[in-house]
Order: sequence, then structure tokens, then C-alpha cells
Amino acid sequence: MPLKKTFIVSGAQTKFGALEGVTFREMLAEAVDKATIQAGVPKKEIQAVFLGTFNPEMLIHQGHTAPLLLDYAGLRGLPATRHEAACASGAVALRAGIMAIESGLYDTVLVGGVEKMTSVSTNKVTEALAAAADDEFESGVGLTFPGVFALAAVAHMNRYGTTQEDMALVAVKAHKNAASNPLAQFQKEITLEKAMTPKFVAWPLKLFDCSPISDGAAALVLSSDKKAKQYTDTPVKIVGSGQASASMNLSGRSDLTSFEASVAASRSAYKMANLTPKDIDFAVVHDCFTIAEIIATEDIGFFKPGEGAKAVREGITAKDGAKPINPTGGLKAVGHPVGATGVKQAVEVYKELIGAAGANQVPKHNIGLMHNFGGTGATCVVNIMRRADA
Amino acid sequence: MSERPTVEAYKKNIQEGKFRALKCSSCGAVITPPLGTCYNCGGNKMEWTNVSGKGKLVSFTVIHVAPDEFAPEVPYIVAIVELAEKSRVTARLAGFDPLKPEAIKIGIPLVLGYEKGKSGKNYLSFRPA
Repeated sequence: MPLKKTFIVSGAQTKFGALEGVTFREMLAEAVDKATIQAGVPKKEIQAVFLGTFNPEMLIHQGHTAPLLLDYAGLRGLPATRHEAACASGAVALRAGIMAIESGLYDTVLVGGVEKMTSVSTNKVTEALAAAADDEFESGVGLTFPGVFALAAVAHMNRYGTTQEDMALVAVKAHKNAASNPLAQFQKEITLEKAMTPKFVAWPLKLFDCSPISDGAAALVLSSDKKAKQYTDTPVKIVGSGQASASMNLSGRSDLTSFEASVAASRSAYKMANLTPKDIDFAVVHDCFTIAEIIATEDIGFFKPGEGAKAVREGITAKDGAKPINPTGGLKAVGHPVGATGVKQAVEVYKELIGAAGANQVPKHNIGLMHNFGGTGATCVVNIMRRADA
Repeated sequence: MSERPTVEAYKKNIQEGKFRALKCSSCGAVITPPLGTCYNCGGNKMEWTNVSGKGKLVSFTVIHVAPDEFAPEVPYIVAIVELAEKSRVTARLAGFDPLKPEAIKIGIPLVLGYEKGKSGKNYLSFRPA
């Protein structure tokens, strides 16, 4: 069934990074204020709230987060639910918001995402992240998160000849794009040589193949066709939304060179939108590791299997290329506060589509796609958005 | 071999060095790690089965940065192995220098064994056949 009436009317993120002295609830409230008061959407118009956060239980010892966050953000009293799907927590919250508007139950809802990660030790973060994989059968053998993507990288290198340098080029591109993004964690270009520094995390993945540990929040307001024009002259329509799951264990998948949940989620989003990969001008994909970006661009159908690395080498995925990927810097350089990421990706697509991406603006911006996946790729959400006048 | 397979028993078998897989009672598909329902036929009755212990390397990585529990063991190799029975497992890979990963070839034949980690935990561990 095609989506009929859900529009993004505003969206914002906090700065991502190690935000010392700024707590979980303060970050979300900042993003909410930017997406409501500062964007011309009065808070009293919001009818329900959908929030994505991954693991505040282990990271900041806090459960029951939805009312806690709303209370501080001036939205006390509204129906509030927390959504969790590891790194896709933000996008599953967004999908819940989309379904709430499409159903006709509400006309205006807020979607938020937040994670506070830097107030505990790196070991504690590693442990909290590992909870997104199968504790009994994969984490328990000593497989780490970077290790999961390293297994995919080795399979991709073996089948298609992808190299460590190809992956490093993704990091170089991410840092180049983030250099002009004032909200990014790393606003500095890096050389290929630096990206190739042989500091292995999980061979063949090195330090610069990995997204960082970050704090941050993002929020956006969804509105129905009845109300959208009241808030903005440039609403963005969500025309397709797909979600799929896959085996938690990599051992349960027949092919490690592709993430089957990404393929399934993108195919259902394209079908819903009645569009093909050729129709999409640019994409924001889940580059938690550099190899994840290469595989994601193949899985969403932008490039044939095995040709994602070639597209990076040839500059096709650069900000001014034919198919820009992560024009603002991706998870790799903007940062990856887990629960905020999926919402931030939607905010980035929204800003690009309305031409408000500043120095990170892509040249052609009628239709954009976001791809957010969780954990070992066991959850994937793909949304396709179109400027209402395009 | 007649008791109903459970997740606890599957893990205990590995700890005791007596690995067994699950088998779908309806279609005979070999299943690892345990699942409640067979994706081949939809059956939900499982029984234990012994495996040949032969397999081949699907992919691997060398872990250099690990959580506290495994940190004393780095660098170590984690692999995905396809058993001769077509089911796959995630396990340790032994018999190679973890600092020379380029020498490890995808597709090589492996045999199942066990490896005791510094934590005292027993891992499924494969080595070259």
C-alpha cells in the first residue's frame, strides 16, 4: 500500500561528539526545541511522541526513558513510547510515527532519537554495544561489533576483490564531507595514508574504518497532508518506507557479502514509492564501518553487487558525484550516538531535499533515500522521501 | 539422545567438548545454533544429531580490540564455518598466525575441535584439515 499523507515539516540535530557536561535529557530537549519552537511548530500542536534510544540501561543506568525525556522537553502528558532496534532504534521510531500519521490517528507527531555514550569507559561502551549481537552464540565466542563487519569485509574482498584501500577511501570521503558540517564530530579532512594507518581493530578493519563513540540527539516533526502546509512552505513527503529483519547470527545467513535485511527493506520501500534506484538523487546510508557503506550502496540497488568500491574510487559517491552518498559525512565522521542516528539521517535527507544543507548541499535534490540498520544488520529500515513540489 | 534439545544443553555440550547439532525431526535439516522452528520445512520438533566435524571456511576476522572478558586473548581469530551438513557456526579458528591473516584462504577444509580460553570457557574451534 503506498504511503498517502506523511510529511516531514521540520528536523534538527544537536552537535554530535563527546558532549561533556550535557546529559541525555538535555540533548533530546535541545533537538526538540530546534525542531519545534525554532522551526515554527508550537509544542502544543504535537499529539504523540516516538523516541529511539538503544541502551541507556547499560550506558547511563536509566530505563523508562520516553516519559523522562518528554518531561524535560516540555511535552509532559503526551503519549510517549520508546523504540529499540540497536543502531536502527531511530528509524524504527520514525516508522512508528509514519504509521501513526498514515492511520489517521494523529495529525502531528514528534520523532526523536538520543544516546549518551561518552560518560562511561570505552570497555563499558563495547559491552553495551555487544548487547546488540547474539550473546550466547556470537558475542560469547569473542566476536565483537567491528568483527561482525570485518567478517563481511573479508567475504566481500574475497568475492569481488575489494581492498583495504577502497574502504579507506570511504573514510577519506566521509571526513572531507564532514569538514564543512558544523554539527559533525570530526570536522577535519584526513589523507588516504592516515586512513590506512595499520591500527587494527578487527582485521581487516582499522581504526579509521570505524565510526566513533558519540553523544547526540535529533528530532523531527511529522504532519499529515491536512496540516503540513501550516508549518512550512517546503514539506517533504515520505513516499516509501520498508523494514525487514534477518538472522541475528551471521552464521544464519547464506551470503556475507550483502545484508539481506537491507535488500528486503529497500525493495519494499521502492515498491511502495513506485520508484527505482535510478530515480533517487542521493542517499544517506548506515556507514557504521566503511565496508558497511560499500555494501549498503549495493544492497539498495545503486550499484551492482561488487561494484560499490569502484563507485567510491571513481568519485560517483562524492558530494558532487552522480550518486552522492552521505554528503554530510556519515556516521563515520559526523558521529554515531546509536539511538539518534536513524532520526539524524532523516533530518539530513530532509535538509538536502529542501536545499538547506549549506556547504553540504547536493546538486540534485528532488528525491532522497535513508538506510539505517541495527546491530549485525538484523534490522534494517529504508525510507524514501520526496520534496512536495518535486 | 532422546531428550528434547535445549539452548542450555547445546551450550553445555560445547563446554564438555561433546558438540552436537540439532536436526529437524520432520525434514532432517541440520540446524546450528539452535532454532525453535526449521526454516526449511516449518517443523518445530527437534532432535540431537552428531556431525562429521568436517567443514570449510566461509569468512574470518582477527580480533585486536575486545571486551574485558576476551581482552587477555587478543589477537585471536573468529570464523564462520560451514559444516559438511550445510549448517554454519561461528567459532574460533586455530592453527594460523593471527598476525599473518593474508595466509588464511577462504574455502579451506577444516576440522572441528575445542579451545580453552583464558577465561576457562571452552570454545568451538576449527583447525585446518
